Amino acid sequence: MSEYESETELGIDAAPGDQEAGTHSVAEGVRNYLIGLALAAGLTAGSFWVASGTNLLYVPGVPMALAALAIAQMGVHLAFFLHITTGPDNVNNALALAFGALIVGIVIVGSLWIMYHLNANMMTPNYMMDVHTQP
Amino acid sequence: MLGKLTWSSLPLNQPIPLITSIVLIVIILATLIWLTVKGYWPYLWNEWITSVDHKRIGIMYCVLALIMLIRGFSDAIMMRAQQALAFHSPGYLPPEHFDQIFSAHGTIMIFFVAMPFMIGLMNFAVPLQLGVRDVAFPTFNSVSFWLTAAAVLLVNMSLFVGEFAQTGWLVYPPLSELKFSPGVGVDYYLWSIQISGIGTLLTGVNFVTTILKIRAPGMILTRMPIFCWTALAANLLIVAAFPILTASLGMLLLDRYLDFHFFTVDAGGNPMMFINLIWAWGHPEVYILILPAFGIFSEVISTFSGKPLFGYRSMVVATMAICILSFLVWLHHFFTMGAGADVNGFFGIMTMIIAVPTGVKIFNWLFTMWGGRVRFEVPMLWAIGFMITFLVGGMTGVLLAAPPADFVLHNSLFLVAHFHNVIIGGVLFGAFAGYTYWFPKAFGFRLDDRLGKAAFWFWLVGFYVAFMPLYVLGLEGMTRRMQRYDVPEWQPWLIVAAAGAVLILIGICFQIAQLVVSIRNRESLRDLTGDLWDGRTLEWITTSPPPHFNFAVMPNVTGEEAYWGMKQKAIEQRRLTDLPDYKTIEMPHNSATGFVTAFFAVLTGFALIWHIWWMVIIGLIGAFATFVAFAWRDISEFHLSPEELAEADHLRREARVALVEGREPGITPVEYSGPPAHGSNALSRMEPDAGYKGPASKRITTGYGFWIFLLSDFVLFSGFYASYAVLSHATAGGLSAKGLFDLKTVAVETTFLLLSSFTCGMATIASNVRNMLWTQLSYAATGLLGLGFLFLEVSEFAKMLAEGAGPARSAFLSSFFALVGLHGLHVTVGLLWLGTMMAQFWAKGFRADIMRRGLCFALFWHALDIIWVGIFTNVYLLGTSP
Repeated sequence: MSEYESETELGIDAAPGDQEAGTHSVAEGVRNYLIGLALAAGLTAGSFWVASGTNLLYVPGVPMALAALAIAQMGVHLAFFLHITTGPDNVNNALALAFGALIVGIVIVGSLWIMYHLNANMMTPNYMMDVHTQP
Repeated sequence: MLGKLTWSSLPLNQPIPLITSIVLIVIILATLIWLTVKGYWPYLWNEWITSVDHKRIGIMYCVLALIMLIRGFSDAIMMRAQQALAFHSPGYLPPEHFDQIFSAHGTIMIFFVAMPFMIGLMNFAVPLQLGVRDVAFPTFNSVSFWLTAAAVLLVNMSLFVGEFAQTGWLVYPPLSELKFSPGVGVDYYLWSIQISGIGTLLTGVNFVTTILKIRAPGMILTRMPIFCWTALAANLLIVAAFPILTASLGMLLLDRYLDFHFFTVDAGGNPMMFINLIWAWGHPEVYILILPAFGIFSEVISTFSGKPLFGYRSMVVATMAICILSFLVWLHHFFTMGAGADVNGFFGIMTMIIAVPTGVKIFNWLFTMWGGRVRFEVPMLWAIGFMITFLVGGMTGVLLAAPPADFVLHNSLFLVAHFHNVIIGGVLFGAFAGYTYWFPKAFGFRLDDRLGKAAFWFWLVGFYVAFMPLYVLGLEGMTRRMQRYDVPEWQPWLIVAAAGAVLILIGICFQIAQLVVSIRNRESLRDLTGDLWDGRTLEWITTSPPPHFNFAVMPNVTGEEAYWGMKQKAIEQRRLTDLPDYKTIEMPHNSATGFVTAFFAVLTGFALIWHIWWMVIIGLIGAFATFVAFAWRDISEFHLSPEELAEADHLRREARVALVEGREPGITPVEYSGPPAHGSNALSRMEPDAGYKGPASKRITTGYGFWIFLLSDFVLFSGFYASYAVLSHATAGGLSAKGLFDLKTVAVETTFLLLSSFTCGMATIASNVRNMLWTQLSYAATGLLGLGFLFLEVSEFAKMLAEGAGPARSAFLSSFFALVGLHGLHVTVGLLWLGTMMAQFWAKGFRADIMRRGLCFALFWHALDIIWVGIFTNVYLLGTSP
């Protein structure tokens, strides 16, 4: 259907992954990726540091800190590498992402919630079910 | 050499399967010989098997569904006969055969009747209703169909070679685990569903992209026919839900083939996790089936009431609400598993809430009919039969949604009656309505009326006679899937139910007769107008059957019910509009990719089922080679000149002129009222409707399609991740994360992947400015970093295996290996893709299609990095942190 190829400019729309119009120069593009790389590397380093057992953090807060760092890093990847923006040309892409994130959230949180309750109610701790620990 | 396959795999000593096999093989051979003698193969190959035309593919889907309906129904009537006989007696079906039959019945009816029927109708009608010439990815559409057909072949092969699952249609573990089902039956099920699941997922991606990115000019979303909306919702559900199915069946496959322990009863496995995951797919699945049916009924009721659909916007809102809500009710399939009052309460209430948008729809249909001039054509009969039947089924569903009631009725025949009530009364009636409604559009002649009505009445009455007794039986305490029973009160009801099945059989015979008679009388049933039913949506503007390019010029949409508006304007002006300005169009070439892929899929699937490993390798290499060959082709489209289009369109206009003279009463002259989309003054005239200017460019379409695919990939990972989260403490006395993982390796792996994301970005920039050297260098760096990552991961895995910490050790390690291994598998696929793409860039330069592939690869590679962030945080860091 390449007859549509000439109509690229018709709609206010962008392919996911394409950089915004206006950042067409190579230098700007490279700079964008470099910023993303620096931020992502920083956040990764932060995660490893948090997990390394530093005394600066309140221990029960570690999972929360790790989650925050991971979500921030995913955001960095989406913005700087995948070029998903909040601009009008990206509405469809962002909506699709939001739908996907919603489903991922439902599957993980829902499963954990349900399985936690099932395990709690059905009294099947692993040591009882497990042949390796049976006498 | 041939794995588990021996002569004893053939049913030589079982009369029923043996005779069925022989009869079917004879029928198939006779058909093949007939086709060869008549010399139909070139026609079949060129016009159907390799066709990428959405209408042809849609028709093939429907034919497949109708054939499998007969297969599924023969299973049904065998079960009804068995249960009518089996009071105090073994009946005529031994238990192991009866168990295969009810498993096959469910599997076939859902996956290979309902799904292909709905997908077929969407394939046929959606692009026509959107006013465009094809779907976003025509060749993938063909791949989807042929993969479904491959799965059908595998399922039916189980009849001749080996056995089918004896576990019910959702293969619940631990029964379906190797320990309790050592035969090949479950493997037949698993590989067939995985193969057809890939096809369905591609369909979902294809249609979401088509509906959101490729519509006729002026067709903003709120002008789409309601069938397109329901198709959008159903396909969004496909891309969101099918990966969960793939994940849960994948885990079961790992359990069965590689000694993993996801759902086993030992080593910390948790069978309940399978039931949780499979229903997280399973409930959206029922809406994947019913939503398109709702769309068909909306079109049919509005057309045959001669009125616009009542409450179009509320219908759209209800559809999209169902789309989201359907993901929040899955636990109602296992209330009795013991989640407790709070969890059951939440899901019970959500289930009752989801009945609200459905109720809205029922009222909309009623008000559409109210005050309309209702024509009781066959599609309308199905629609009215649906409204009454579905209402009953919906109410028993709300009843079952109350957990206390469900505790009484769970797994009883009451439940069986309920879901047949909604699936037959909803999905199947919808499919039949759509089949009768669009048949004249597809073939240019209508189906015989009298036989159609007879079929309808036998189906309707037969349905009630067959399934109402099951409600009673359920209340009397009869559970489902009983091969024999000792309760005398049950038998009369079961005999009535069997009689109902016979009535349905008569209905099916009438449908077959209807098809045969209609084909024979096609001249007298021919429709020359292209608008047989006085339709309201764009498919009725073109001829019946439509030309392969659908529309010589894309219609210009100026309001809801696009075609109806044009028709009314034409009636007022009493004339056809001026000749449009025909422009050259491009249509996709036929492709054997789908068929060849399906061939290798059957080969691989069969080899996996029977453990014939060398054949697995051949099949996988063949499938990969097919895709490389497809990607390598230079010419994918051909041109149609304005002259050809003008000539074709002239014939269509001739037919309309005849209508202006009022040859046929009740049908009005019709023509495009707006200027053609590509006309010289199109833009100025379109200004008021400038919200949507026509199909997006190929780059946007491809990128968006791949983006949707990636989202479904995220959902796939979420299934594996959820299992890891649930099972991460099930160490079965073995090592836990703390003692196993080496964070130094993980840090290096993460660095490699992050850097490769950067170099991949550099390749994108370099290819955008057409710099070959930097493109190749950056891609090469990406590939080397990816290889480094893989090397580290493989050595980590090898070390763990050597230390006895393999997936067989505990459920925790199973889920770890599966989750991280799945990511590694993605990296491997990415590297293969990268190599192919680099070769293409090298050989063919910066061609637009290769550039689009580069865009998709970049999306894929960056997405892998995002998934890795989730993995290293949650698996490695969280697992080893204090």
